[in-house]
Amino acid sequence: MTSMKITRRTFLKVSGATAAGTIMGGLGFDLSPAEVYAQELRIKGAKETTSICCYCSVGCGIIVHTDAKGKVINAEGDPDHPISEGALCAKGASSYQIAVNPHRLQKVLYRAPYSSTWKEVKWEWALEKIAANIKKSRDASFMEKNAAGQVVNRTNGIASVGSAAMDNEECWLYSKMLRALGLIYVEHQARI
Amino acid sequence: MADKSFFIDTTKCTACRGCQIACKQWNKNPGTKTLQQGNHQNPADLSASTFKLVRFNEVEVPGGEPQWFFFPDQCRHCMSPPCKEVADEKAKGAIIHDEKTGAVIFNPKVKIKPGDFKEVREACPYDIPRISGAGIMAKCTMCFDRINEGMLPACVKTCPTGAMNFGDRKEILEKANKRLEEVKGTYKDAMLANTDDVRVIFLIVDDPKKYHKFAVADNTIGITRKMALKRLFQPLTSLRHMIG
Repeated sequence: MTSMKITRRTFLKVSGATAAGTIMGGLGFDLSPAEVYAQELRIKGAKETTSICCYCSVGCGIIVHTDAKGKVINAEGDPDHPISEGALCAKGASSYQIAVNPHRLQKVLYRAPYSSTWKEVKWEWALEKIAANIKKSRDASFMEKNAAGQVVNRTNGIASVGSAAMDNEECWLYSKMLRALGLIYVEHQARI
Repeated sequence: MADKSFFIDTTKCTACRGCQIACKQWNKNPGTKTLQQGNHQNPADLSASTFKLVRFNEVEVPGGEPQWFFFPDQCRHCMSPPCKEVADEKAKGAIIHDEKTGAVIFNPKVKIKPGDFKEVREACPYDIPRISGAGIMAKCTMCFDRINEGMLPACVKTCPTGAMNFGDRKEILEKANKRLEEVKGTYKDAMLANTDDVRVIFLIVDDPKKYHKFAVADNTIGITRKMALKRLFQPLTSLRHMIG
């Protein structure tokens, strides 16, 4: 018998032949899978809210499941969404972590010029600081006329990069604001 | 519930890793610290917290263009799982084979000794079982909780290209064979891997070894023969149990 060559194929045949023996060996004692997986479907009874993936311009549909306390417990593709029909790529599939992730920043951090450390600041302070910096840069770099004497009213000292996470209306508002400031370096990372 | 099966069409896989992340997310498995391995595959291997892994394999062809193979690896939920055979002897109830769906499930409540686990892992022709630090075995669950509610497994639901498919075994087999016929014209080496033996059927179009060492079961795994012999003698040992 030891010289018999057993391939994967014959191995499976052997297993079939001994199936009766295996059942007897088990003596009918077996835990039911229901016992192992006694817990209910973890999104049973959860509230479902539809949303759009924030990552790229494809705009796949997402269903967000929240528990009774409003905590996000799951997020997965929305099968009824005409664009994605329930599918999500790796980034979309991880969207649950936008809400639940201990590694996310909870407070605004600020690193002063020439400093090597971050310090916590308040939102109000940060917004004021950003506004002040924009004003300072704009005042310093604003150009009313170009070298040829034509009126251009532009701000060469500031550029904007982003954001694919914004929806159509937000993009319009954002673009409007940047043009009003006189920015010409407006770049939008539209995918990935 | 009818016998279930997966059909994984690697010709449609773009290795976006949606399945890998959806699996992590649904099973609430934590991320693992990884290092750059020199390719796009990440993490390097399956683990007790990574049940689904898209393997990226780069193959250099002398004088030709380099080829890239994607293999969304996972438990095959064998028709007669060798892992269970070993586990039944070593740690009773550690592995369960659901009669209705055919899912092979590792019981998270049963611990196993490292030495015994080694035998379970070696028994698997696809090198799937993994163990946590606490001595609990883990792998793909076929999303048992989801499919019992009529939902698709997380990996299948999220797949944007249609590479991952799930359903009643009969329909899945039909789908797999139909697709095989379709691609045969383009890929002469197209094949379905171990169709009769497993519930996760991969369509591959080249030498299986180019995808992954354990993509298709063969007789090069030493333990297979050992296992087969053990099975051959099992009626005798069972009899001994009954008498003794």
